[in-house]
Amino acid sequence: MAIAESAELFQVEHARPREQRRWLRVLLGKKLAMCALAYLAVFYLAGIFAPLVATHDPTKTEISVEARLAGSSSEHWFGTDRLGRDIYSRVVYAARTTIIFTFAVLITGGVFLGLGLGLLAGYRGGWIDTAIMRVGEILAGLPTLIMMLAITAAFRTHINNLSFDLADATWLSVDEARTLVKFVIIVGATVPFAWVGSARIVRSQALAIRELPYVTAAEAAGASTPRILARHIFPGVLPLFVVGLSAGMAGIAGAEVGLSFLGLGIDPPTSSFGNLISEGAGARFFEQFPHVLIFSSLPVIFFFFAWNLLGDALVDILEPRANQR
Amino acid sequence: MSNRTLTLLMGAVAFLILAVAAVFGIVLLGGGGDDDGTDSASPDATRTPRSSSSSSGICQGKSLIVPGNEPASVFDPIQVTDVSTSEYVVEIFGGLVTINRDLEVEGDLAESWDISPDGKTYTFKLRNNILFHDDTRVTAHDVKYSIERAADPKNASPTVRAYLGNIAGVNDKFTNKSGEVSGVKVVDDRTLTITLIEPSDFFLEELTYPVSYVVQQEQVEGDARNWTRKPIGTGPFKVAEYKVAEVIRLTKNDRYHLGAPKLDEVVFELGGGSISTRYENDEIHIGFVPAVDLDAIKGGNSPLSAEYKAIPNMATSYIQLNTKVAPFDDPKVRQAFAMTIDREQINEVLLYGYYQVADGFLPPDMPGYKESVSSYDFDPVRAKQLLSESKYATNMPRITMSYGGSTGDTPDILVAMQEGWKEALGIEVQLQVLDSAAYLREQRTGKFQMSADGWSADYPDPENFLGKLFGGNSPLNYTGYKNDQVDALLEQARTESSREKRYELYTQAEQIFMDDAAIIPTFWPVDHLLVKPCVVDYPAASMTIPKYRYIDIKED
Amino acid sequence: MGPGLTGYLIRRVLWAVPVLFIISVAVFWIVRAAPGDPVDSILGRDFYSEEQAEQLRDKYGYSDPLPVQYWKWLKNFSQGDLGISTRHRDFTANEIILPKMRISATLGIIALVITFGLGIPVGIYAALARGTILDPLMISTWLMIDAIPYFVMIPVIQWLLAIKLGLIGLGYEGLTSPNIIVPILLLSLPAVAGVARIMRASILSVIDEDYVRTARSKGLRESTVIFTHVARNAMLPMITVIGLSLPGLAGGSLFVELFFGIPGIARESLDAVLAPDFDVILALTMISSILFVVANILIDIAYAIIDPRVRLGEARG
Repeated sequence: MAIAESAELFQVEHARPREQRRWLRVLLGKKLAMCALAYLAVFYLAGIFAPLVATHDPTKTEISVEARLAGSSSEHWFGTDRLGRDIYSRVVYAARTTIIFTFAVLITGGVFLGLGLGLLAGYRGGWIDTAIMRVGEILAGLPTLIMMLAITAAFRTHINNLSFDLADATWLSVDEARTLVKFVIIVGATVPFAWVGSARIVRSQALAIRELPYVTAAEAAGASTPRILARHIFPGVLPLFVVGLSAGMAGIAGAEVGLSFLGLGIDPPTSSFGNLISEGAGARFFEQFPHVLIFSSLPVIFFFFAWNLLGDALVDILEPRANQR
Repeated sequence: MSNRTLTLLMGAVAFLILAVAAVFGIVLLGGGGDDDGTDSASPDATRTPRSSSSSSGICQGKSLIVPGNEPASVFDPIQVTDVSTSEYVVEIFGGLVTINRDLEVEGDLAESWDISPDGKTYTFKLRNNILFHDDTRVTAHDVKYSIERAADPKNASPTVRAYLGNIAGVNDKFTNKSGEVSGVKVVDDRTLTITLIEPSDFFLEELTYPVSYVVQQEQVEGDARNWTRKPIGTGPFKVAEYKVAEVIRLTKNDRYHLGAPKLDEVVFELGGGSISTRYENDEIHIGFVPAVDLDAIKGGNSPLSAEYKAIPNMATSYIQLNTKVAPFDDPKVRQAFAMTIDREQINEVLLYGYYQVADGFLPPDMPGYKESVSSYDFDPVRAKQLLSESKYATNMPRITMSYGGSTGDTPDILVAMQEGWKEALGIEVQLQVLDSAAYLREQRTGKFQMSADGWSADYPDPENFLGKLFGGNSPLNYTGYKNDQVDALLEQARTESSREKRYELYTQAEQIFMDDAAIIPTFWPVDHLLVKPCVVDYPAASMTIPKYRYIDIKED
Repeated sequence: MGPGLTGYLIRRVLWAVPVLFIISVAVFWIVRAAPGDPVDSILGRDFYSEEQAEQLRDKYGYSDPLPVQYWKWLKNFSQGDLGISTRHRDFTANEIILPKMRISATLGIIALVITFGLGIPVGIYAALARGTILDPLMISTWLMIDAIPYFVMIPVIQWLLAIKLGLIGLGYEGLTSPNIIVPILLLSLPAVAGVARIMRASILSVIDEDYVRTARSKGLRESTVIFTHVARNAMLPMITVIGLSLPGLAGGSLFVELFFGIPGIARESLDAVLAPDFDVILALTMISSILFVVANILIDIAYAIIDPRVRLGEARG
């Protein structure tokens, strides 16, 4: 059962611009959070430099009885899958898939829609605020799972045509265009439901800061709107925004993993943790070939765990009352 | 709140963590040991599954519990086109003739029949003890009503023209040219004649198909909207319960004219879950052998070997090539593709030898099957040469292989073929999934270049595979394949009255068809079943027949 | 309930109408304007003819222009007729959806009671016993469990309980069979630590408020202070959490249903989307949206009753 995270927990009444430098010190003092950061660093480096880190071509199949579902060995560290592909290399490339996906969602849904619309609604108020918040309300009212499934299912039958068109119009090869189209579809299915939460947090923060004396003073002194947004509102909003994002990171990445598990997200031959796990997920299969499920799920479980730890640590720092006194 | 309660709660949370840690620990440690060899059988053999004889209860009583498929259509004989629904329809309804466990035509409602010397008129004599499920009598009028109902355009039966089109008057009725089917005449309550347009050696086989099954006029017209939920038929079983995605329960028809079933009821569980595990836990009577266990169970190394049954399916799966669009309008390209699917390897490695490599189009259990027919063997060198001789040697267009999928996953088999073509021919084939409705729609418009498909037998005659599917004028021919020589052979076979000669003609047509490679047959599916020892007389029929009336449960 | 509350509720309900209307138009358009119609899946591939397709389109009302279709659908929907299922051709959408929703909701409610029944006391205790081992234990448990996807957790647990230990069967045999215990525990236990964490945090956020201090200084017993002043106010965020998980009850849990073969509504949603089964998708979306709107209104009412000081409409930012 999903427990809806209450936005209130992350809300503070007053921005604390002066305390920003304190952050880093406190964060560095938290051992668990540092472990999480270290793991994330490894994960991201491995994903970004996947071609260097991987030992095999992740799509290279070797269809033979000997190569099929072999356990770990010095040749295949994490063993092989049904088609004789190297699971370690597929995991490395799956990390890359996760990184690209979360990055795309963060930029579009988080920064562009969440931060942008939140600031706009909070600072400008009026009908803009009403409109943005109502659209958010409508989106929040839709059943996320069904909608995400429906969007991906509706588009997956057009993947080939879209990618052929794209390959014709650009310098991309068909394979690259295909991968890109798949990413666009799944990002497009996630983003509409990913921005509402952070826009709400940003908006209520911006509302509070707008009323603070130094902001009204700056307004009275004739500072321009972009200047006020950039100098006063944005720095005040940022900490909570970042906390919200890092706490929500596992959820965003999890959406792709879940959809791919169902075969509606990133599909083979492109690796994704979802399609890697789906190959090994079954009680009977697990009994005989535990390496497939273990090695393809642990890296991403730790990824989620690390982001959860980090998000939790950031909440702690920002809102010390919540966890620790 | 007392401290004791809190300690308990803390314990619960701590337990969770420990459980997760323990599971992963056990698996990681255990996994390390097992992974040296790939003989996947050993972990299975060393386990001690509960012995079936001590099975708690499922072998007592006469209730057979089997995993079932959700019907894709309604329990109306004239609407059925899919295997998942006909499995139930053949048990509930019956027609003039039926197919027995040896796949021979035998009388159902009819006890005997005469064929006129010109082969065009069939006179059926009905049994005198035939009853509907509600104990009303079945007469020749009911048979005529049912066939006319099938042909009524208002009922939009998708199958009536293909299976009963040879009956004089069916097409007239279907196109609204006539109010009745002139070829079906009631002589008296127990006598019926059917006149054909042209003589046909496989007409009785066609009559075993559900579209001509007998329904009860009173019920169908009295409750037009809901009658298919508890349909009144003449078959060995009646529908007692149907809960979508949960269960279908059929109970026995005590007064069934071919002998009452020995089982009291058959319970089809539609829920899914892990069938093999449920079989071992004695929750169901029939299970499927998981592919990874097949070797162990077949080889006799498993305690389950004694319960194992392999039942070939009268079906063929294949890759369909559209001979009207590039690049498959060039036979050399088609042949090159056919020669570069390593079916032996795919079957052995990906399917654990589950299927049989299809060395021809007709499955081996089909009457008229000839071993001499052969499809192309794996030969990448020759394929490469053919490709270089083809008109697309240097300008190969993009190729998409479409497949219908109601689940999300890409089948490994298709990925393996894709890789095979890339490796052997240097051609990148893109896979495209379509939901089943879109797949059918696109296929009809003839847009596919290539598609993964399959066909399973409706009745045991080669005509069902070759004539229905690949005649140049057949509406089901989605390959666009048209070869005058094949068409002439099929035409000749259709009206030929000597069975031996017909089979010979089909064999010739099939070989030409294989050589032209408009389709690439891949596998003949096989069902690998586990049947509890207390289930006796399970018919090893390779097609959908009313089989549950033969089965009994005997405690040992 | 004062007059202010009544007026506010009326505004809320009135506002819900256009929201639901927009959702219904949008979803209807997405579902119905897509190329193709259910006729393709009904007729099957083998013996399609245009005339038959036309007949079926007329029968199911797919030959009308979209606005007419929408109007008909809306009229039926408002009378409780959800339409027909094209995937299960013999059944109406009502017959498909309602029994399955009942199964999912029953499981969900049992799980919800367990989750909050355990989570709230643990959270209160954790807040009072600050600094004990329970603190980091609870938090890291939650963070870890939250990181394990169901589709990894379930096969492993099934393997352990059913295959290795032989304790349970894996089939669905109705809500009364003992087989159902494992899915219920899987639905409830992983969420306990999360609830406890939120409960703990909200207790801590009120425990030092002025009115609590005042109550203490008046010499009230500590237990009285905790239960009348602290817990009451700390329940406010809990109400949001509980309220927002209510619409989810009718949505089911996809992976639990998939792995345990439970014929619930989440599985039906997936199958309906993949088929596609138009009316079922529409109905599921609308029911879920309506429940969401209703849950939000209920949350507001609950807030107003528990804490009259809460200014309506701003209760949840």
